[in-house]
Parts: sequence; structure tokens; C-alpha cells
Amino acid sequence: MRIRKSRISATKIEAQMAPMIDVVFQLLIFFMLTLKIIPIEGDFNINMPIGQQATESPDVPMPPIKVRMIANEDGTLAEIQMNQRELGNDHLAFDRLNAEIGSLVGNRDNPFVKEIEVEIDADYNLHYRYSIAAVSACTGYVSPQTGQVIRYVEKVKFAPPRRPEE
Amino acid sequence: MRYKQHESTVIEPDMTPMIDIVFQLIAFFMMVTSFEQTQADERVKLPSDQLARPPVVARDKVLVINIGFNRDKKGEKTDPDPYIFEGDTKIPILEYGKRLREEKRVAEALYGPGGHKDMIMEIRADSETPTGLIQDLIKLCQESGFEKFSLRAKQLIR
Repeated sequence: MRIRKSRISATKIEAQMAPMIDVVFQLLIFFMLTLKIIPIEGDFNINMPIGQQATESPDVPMPPIKVRMIANEDGTLAEIQMNQRELGNDHLAFDRLNAEIGSLVGNRDNPFVKEIEVEIDADYNLHYRYSIAAVSACTGYVSPQTGQVIRYVEKVKFAPPRRPEE
Repeated sequence: MRYKQHESTVIEPDMTPMIDIVFQLIAFFMMVTSFEQTQADERVKLPSDQLARPPVVARDKVLVINIGFNRDKKGEKTDPDPYIFEGDTKIPILEYGKRLREEKRVAEALYGPGGHKDMIMEIRADSETPTGLIQDLIKLCQESGFEKFSLRAKQLIR
């Protein structure tokens, strides 16, 4: 018996690249147009239960650390005081405040660490960025070695607003 | 005279490196694109701080309050008074109490009686806003029964 050998010629199939490239470019343009660069935002939590803003309850075991911030007429910082002690108004004033809070909080084994409260008492027209810097200085610092946040005070609150006298 | 007959040749460029690069770009843009609905207002120039870290767990009951100034294209203030921005609406800070009472009613309808107490008021204020106005806003929130506050700032990376 004679076996018939069919000759199959090997053909190279070339994929059509043009449609794929079209779609890929469409996708690329879509993602480029929808890209929105947003800076990373963080926050500081403050707990201000109703009725505790203006009053100092005698039941509180420790009086709050008072941070007073005095403003110039244009809203810039004129002076920081912590418990009546002057800390200046230069760029190192908040570092000084941070160091003072650190020395008050003391070591981490202090059982009253979680009870310590800071009250920020700022002039009415003081720019908000200084208040945030003060909240940050009281909250803790970033360790330069590890980059971790070392917490000082968890409870930060604002004193009643000092409205300008009319 | 005899001419040498050339075969017509179509030059096909090698597409592989281009496709590689384009796919890399698509992968990059897909990674960095966020479709998350943020309520952040671009008119607000937040203060920046090293300690401002994003919350570890995403919050669900949040009311974002954007406070900023009217600024021109150069970023100069055109109005000395700050406003609360809600889309195209501008509300003076001291007149926000009515809106907060509405928010309280909505929160109670959604989360039940007292549900508004778990809501976090996320304050995104311009760095030049007077602190006193923020304190007044906090007071207005307290009068409407909100107790938890979060002050937003840009994370400063050194």
C-alpha cells in the first residue's frame, strides 16, 4: 500500500500589532489624563468633648500644660510661652517647646503619661500653621535614627477663643 | 543597457522595545492613579508638618470641612476673610452652624440616634486662617453635638 504523504508547508503567522498598539496608546493617554498628583495628607486628632472646653474640672488629676501663643497684628508668631515660661518666636521656638514637653512627660514608664493634657491658648488672629506646629510639638517627634514617631502627649485641646475686643 | 532588478523591500521596524516601554508606562500610571473620591479642595493651602501621618485605618464617618481664601492665579488673597468651601458655595465660618445642624440630622437618620457623636470632623484649613476662627468652628460643631476632630496637614518629608 502506498502511503500518500501530504506536504504541509510551515507558515509563520504574524500577529497584527497595529490594533493592540492603538488600544495600548488609548489606555496610556487615559491614565495620563486622569492622573492627579495629591500630596500625602496626615492629621492630628483632638478630642474636645462638649462642656470641657471652657471649664477646668476639679476632678482632673493633673492640670493641663498651658501653651500660650501670642500673635503680631499680621498674624505671625510673636511669642510662645509654656506654663508662663517664654520660649521665643524664632524657628527653634517649637523645638524648644518640644524639648520642654519631652522633659515634662519624662520617661515612658511614668504612669501619668496618658493623663497629661496640653491646652493650646492662641491669640485669635494667629495663623493656623503656628497652631498646627504647636500641636505637633506637643504630640511628639520623629526619631532621626529610626524615622519612627515618638509620642509625648495624646490629649491636646484648645482653650476658648480669645475674641478681639471691639 | 541592463538594469539590475531590485526586490521591493518593506522595512518593518522592530516594535518590541516600544511595546515594552508603553506597557511599563501603563503599569506605572495604573499604580499611581487613585480613583478614590476625595473631598479635598485644591484651593486650601494646608500647613505642612513632619508628624502629620495618614490614619492607619480608613475612617468611614467623616465630615470634611474645607476652609480657605479666595485667591487669584498667582495665589494672592483677593478677600481677607476665609470661607468654608462646599463645591462652588462659599459659607462664612461663623454662619456654618445651620449646615452643621443639618449634618447632625442626616447622621442621625443614617446611623441612628446619637450616631453623630462618632463622626469625625476633618478640618482642612488654610495655613493663614486665624486660629480663633478654627476655635469658633470647633465650638459650633460642639454646639451641634460633634465631639471628635481631626486637623489635616500635609506630610512634610525631610
